[in-house]
Amino acid sequence: MKTQFYFKFGIIISIIGVCFYLFYPPEKKLKKGLDLQGGVHIVLEIVKEENIDKKNLSDLADRVLEIIRNRIDALGVTEPIIQKEGMDRIIVDLPGVKDPQKAIDIIGKTALLEFKLVEEDEKLYKQALEGKIPEGYELLYLKEKDERGIYRETYPLLVKKEPELTGKYIVDAYMGYDATGFPDVNLVLNDEGSKIFEEVTGKNIGKRLAIVLDGVVKSAPQIKERIPGGKAVITGKFTKDEAVELAIVLRSGALPAKLNIIYREVIGPTLGKEYIQRGFKASLYGAIIVVIFMVFYYLHFGLLADFALALNILILLGIMAGIKGVLTLPGIAGIALTCGMAVDANVLIFERIREELKSGKSPKASIDAGYHRAWTAIIDSNITTIIVGIVLFIFGEGPIKGFGLTLTIGIIANLFTAVYVTKTIVDWIVINRKIERIRI
Amino acid sequence: MELIKNTNINFLDKRKYWYIFSLLIIIAGMFLITLKGEKNFGVDFVGGDLINIEINRKTDVQSLRKIINEIKIGSFTVQELGIEGKNFIIRLPQNTSDRVIEKLKENFGEGILIKGVSVVSPSMSITLRKKAIKAFLIGLIGILIYLTIRFEFRFAVAATIAIFHDILVVLSFLAFTGKQIDGFVLAALLTIAGYSVNDTVVIFDRIRENLRKTRSTDYLTIFNKSINETLSRTILTVLTTLFVVLTIFFFGGETLHTFAFCLIVGFIFGTYSSIFIASAIVIDWLKKSSARLKL
Repeated sequence: MKTQFYFKFGIIISIIGVCFYLFYPPEKKLKKGLDLQGGVHIVLEIVKEENIDKKNLSDLADRVLEIIRNRIDALGVTEPIIQKEGMDRIIVDLPGVKDPQKAIDIIGKTALLEFKLVEEDEKLYKQALEGKIPEGYELLYLKEKDERGIYRETYPLLVKKEPELTGKYIVDAYMGYDATGFPDVNLVLNDEGSKIFEEVTGKNIGKRLAIVLDGVVKSAPQIKERIPGGKAVITGKFTKDEAVELAIVLRSGALPAKLNIIYREVIGPTLGKEYIQRGFKASLYGAIIVVIFMVFYYLHFGLLADFALALNILILLGIMAGIKGVLTLPGIAGIALTCGMAVDANVLIFERIREELKSGKSPKASIDAGYHRAWTAIIDSNITTIIVGIVLFIFGEGPIKGFGLTLTIGIIANLFTAVYVTKTIVDWIVINRKIERIRI
Repeated sequence: MELIKNTNINFLDKRKYWYIFSLLIIIAGMFLITLKGEKNFGVDFVGGDLINIEINRKTDVQSLRKIINEIKIGSFTVQELGIEGKNFIIRLPQNTSDRVIEKLKENFGEGILIKGVSVVSPSMSITLRKKAIKAFLIGLIGILIYLTIRFEFRFAVAATIAIFHDILVVLSFLAFTGKQIDGFVLAALLTIAGYSVNDTVVIFDRIRENLRKTRSTDYLTIFNKSINETLSRTILTVLTTLFVVLTIFFFGGETLHTFAFCLIVGFIFGTYSSIFIASAIVIDWLKKSSARLKL
């Protein structure tokens, strides 16, 4: 009999130890969701061209994903989540990002860089302005910054539709400074690109070469000489941030498709902190009321239920840390709810014990019968909650997943703490102390 | 301590009135929901923008509305959080948040903190809606499968009706209080369904136990006895869970507000429906059929 108890207590104590080790200190061991950390969550959708088949669309999305990953890596975000959803959507989670708007700009920018020759013929240009654009040409606006630093369309340029060179030959791009001290972006082309660039500049000395980014002319410098060596510069009175951003997107390459941001959620760091405080406070108050109530109502047995409750939460947090589950605000609510529901198992048992005692059974027999007969009801009531928890974890969106997770783990742990642990302790006390009367 | 001692309340005698009570709530609620149409739903289900702001000096909903009204963006709502007149949530039409933020910054300068922004496009809202409904239906089917395995047919049907009763009542209360249905609400509804069933199960278990002990067909007495015997547990469990959801409601902040509200209403009516709907329906059904209940 004794060794059996030692064994049972051994199990309980080692579980306490392991769980404590797993989740302590909680700030480090528990993974916080985006809502608690602050950050950006966006969903991008590929703008579909007509009659694109599923296979191609999916491949396209893979390529887009790769480029976005490169851009985010360049931003230096810790633990970003970038994943494809369905065929044409990409989900990006950037926890703790400082400047959300900048991140969104960088991710969503197509960054299609083209070098297009400007048609210098006055007659053709005038005709084009009147609306008669010659075949194979297009009118593009040059956007420049005004005194206040806002981009404004200045004048149109007539350029050849077919680019001489595109961004796909770029091997590197970095920020530098031009002669007037403004930041600019330096490009390094690969061998093939260098050759083309040398040829184009050699053949078109005196003409202007428009540098077009996503359909807007950034600058249109005049070609003064043949340029060998594959180096080019984009100027445009950039700020330092703009130049760095542009360098990042050019380095990672152009997106092969246009993207729409169909969902965007920005959670500031203060809001995340507020959520944690609020959620923690609410859960704590809730738990305290439950704990006090149980002692008040069931005396010693209430203490036992409270111990089981504390253990329940410890195991819940331990498992959360162990499986690297993400804690969200609804997840904290799930933990609180677990506190409320967890004592139900003990209530079922204790009420049953009271009934058995009233029917005149001995304490030992009442306790055994109480546990035994309450068991099916406990399983029943926990199963429905577990079903709900698992479904919300698998199919729920974002923060709600976290609710499903904590609820499921909490209720499963509850079976162990409220039944096994309390029964072990009660048995031990009743047998060791040879108790003949109990108050409950 | 014992709150409930050897009660002998005749719960099920006046069950017709309880049916009518529930039906009235549900009919009024559904009527209101139909009337409101799209306004029932939060931005994640119908699309739109949402901004969460904090302003460092006291202001109010009216003056914020006035400022935003200067740029014409269509209909929007401003809701104050807390009582300090500093925190607000603004719900806006699709893709207008950038302009509104610019306008607010013009007005308040450094004094405004944009704490959070969500922008949900129509195509995303369709996805979110579909996902939420899918999760909801799968969860519900899971519970129903469990019920049919676990119980005799009539009990399972009655418990199912009770689940739908609870869900409809909660939706009605959301409509009465002008709260919006979003992903959190569906998660809450599912939790309520789970809770409602487990409460019903405990009572049904006791009814079954008592039916086995006797050969009497005085169902009303047996049912009432079972409900009274489990009453103490029923009340205690709803109390402890209510303690928790009430603290979440009062201290958990705006995000969890509607979620906790649903749980409060749901847990109360989930408990109510176990007795006055689920058990009551089984009695009426048994009275109609002459065959003795086989368990």
